Amino acid sequence: MAAIADEVELLWALIRQRYGARLDEAQLKIVRETLEGLARDVAALRGAKIPDDAEPAQPFIPFRAEP
Amino acid sequence: MSVAFRTIRELGADLRAGRLSPVALAEACLHRLDTIGGKLNAVVTLTRERALEQARRAEAELKAGRDRGPLHGIPYGAKDLLATSGGIPTTWGAAPFRDRCFTYDATVIRHLEEAGAVLVAKLAMVEFAGGMGYRQPNASFTGPGISPWSPDAWSGGSSSGSGSAVGAGLVPFAIGSETWGSILSPAAYCGVTGLRPTYGRVSRHGAMALCWTLDKLGPLALTADDCGLVLDAIAGADPADATAAVRHYRYEDREPGRPFRFAVVRGTLEAAQPAVRETVGRALDTLRTLGSVEEIALPDLPYEAMTRVILWAEGASAVESLTESGAIAQLTAPEDRVTPYARDAILAKDYVRALRLRGVVAREIDRVLSRFDAIVGPSRAAVGPRLGEEFRSPIRGGAADVLGAIGNAAGLPSVGVPCGFTPEGLPIGLQFMGRAWDENIVLAAARAWQARTDFHRRRPPLA
Repeated sequence: MAAIADEVELLWALIRQRYGARLDEAQLKIVRETLEGLARDVAALRGAKIPDDAEPAQPFIPFRAEP
Repeated sequence: MSVAFRTIRELGADLRAGRLSPVALAEACLHRLDTIGGKLNAVVTLTRERALEQARRAEAELKAGRDRGPLHGIPYGAKDLLATSGGIPTTWGAAPFRDRCFTYDATVIRHLEEAGAVLVAKLAMVEFAGGMGYRQPNASFTGPGISPWSPDAWSGGSSSGSGSAVGAGLVPFAIGSETWGSILSPAAYCGVTGLRPTYGRVSRHGAMALCWTLDKLGPLALTADDCGLVLDAIAGADPADATAAVRHYRYEDREPGRPFRFAVVRGTLEAAQPAVRETVGRALDTLRTLGSVEEIALPDLPYEAMTRVILWAEGASAVESLTESGAIAQLTAPEDRVTPYARDAILAKDYVRALRLRGVVAREIDRVLSRFDAIVGPSRAAVGPRLGEEFRSPIRGGAADVLGAIGNAAGLPSVGVPCGFTPEGLPIGLQFMGRAWDENIVLAAARAWQARTDFHRRRPPLA
C-alpha cells in the first residue's frame, strides 16, 4: 500500500496544479476524499489476478461509409 | 372513470372498447402531472401540445381500426436525458442545460411514437444522471425528487421523476436509464416495477451519455407485465447506435410451466439495512413456494471497484468539456461541482485493467447463472433516505452493492419489484437478475411474484 499512498500524493499534486486555483479548502477536501477512494479501488483492482490473454470487454467496430 | 394506477393492459382494453378516449386519458395524466407531479418535483416539462396531437392521432386510428399494439394511446413520461424535437427542452437535470433543445428524437422516443404511445412529460432526474458524484437528494435543478410514499423521503435516482410519476399514478409507465442503480433505485424507493434491460437491448441514441459501456434505457411501470410490453416496443437494433444488438426481442407473457430456480448470493442480505434484510428474507420464503432458492458464493473479485473505475473513467471523458470549462460550478449539489476533478487520477492502464476484468466477470457470472433463472436480492440495500440526509452510495464507494456492480458491468437484465414496507411505510424492493438477453425469464419470475403478492397494488399517500 505504500506505493499506492505515494501515488495518491503524486496524483493529488497533479489535480491541485490543474484545478487548485478554482477550488476552496472545503472543495479540495471533497476532491481529496474522492481521490483516496479511487486509490482504494485501484489497489483492489490491481490485486485481482487476470489471465494474460484476457482482452478488454470492449468492442471496436471498423467503420466504412456505405453508399 | 379514474385512470390513475391502471395498468397498460387495463387502459388498453378500455381504449379499444370505447370506454375511454386517448385524449381524455392524456388530459387526465397531464392534470395529475401538473398538480401532484409538481409537489413531488417529478416533472421538468409538460409536453401538452405534442401529447394532445399524439392522443388525437391515436383516437382517430383506433376508431378507424388501425391498432398499433398495446401502447397505442397510452401516455408515458421520459427521463429528461432523452432528446426530444419540437422545441421541448432536454435538460439532463442540470441548470446549465435548462433551455437546451435538440432537433431530433432519441430512438426510444421514436419507437414509442411508432407504437402509438403518447409523450406527456419530460421527467426530472438527478443532474447528469448522478455521474458527478452526488451524495444527497438535492442534486437537480428541479429540486430533490420526492417519493410518493412520504413527503420527506427521496424518490431515488437518477431516474427520480420516472419513479415518482409512476409511483404516484401520474403516468402508466415511464422511461428511465441506468448506469448503476438508476432504474432499480427509484423503482424500489417509489414502490414500482423497474426493468433494467441487457446492455445493448435498447438503443442509446439520443440519450445523454454518462458511461458509454454501462448506460442502459428501460421502463418503469406498475407491473412486470407492463415493463415487458414497453420493452417489446423499444428494443432492437439501431444504425445510430453500434452497441444496440441485432438480437431479436419479443415479449412473451407465457409462464415457464416449471418451478423457478433462484440463487441468493451469500452476504448480500447481511450487507443490507435490518428492515431490508428482514423484508427480503421473508420474500425468499415466498419465492420458495415458486421454486427453489439456493445460497451461492461468488468468486472473490473486486466487483464494485471494477465497475466504479469504468464508470468514473468514462464519466470523466463524457463530461470533460464541462469540467475543464468550469461549467460544473453551476450544478446544484455542491459535491457535483468538484468531484469530477478527482477523476483525472485514473490511469489508462487501470481503466483497461477494469475492462479486462469485466470480461472475466461476465464469463464467470454467466457460468454461475446458467444453473438458475435469476439471482435474487435487495434492489437496494437501504430504504430511501430522508430529503435532507447525506446518503452512502455504491457509486462513491460508501455502500455495498455487489449485485448492482456485477449486473451493470456484465450488462445483465434485472427487474425490481416492491416486496414490502418499513414500519414507517417506505417501500422496499426485490430484484431478479438474469443471464444476458433473458429479460423474458426475469419478467416471468417477477410476474409470478406479483401474482402471489399485492405490494405492487398498494397505493401511496401522496397520490
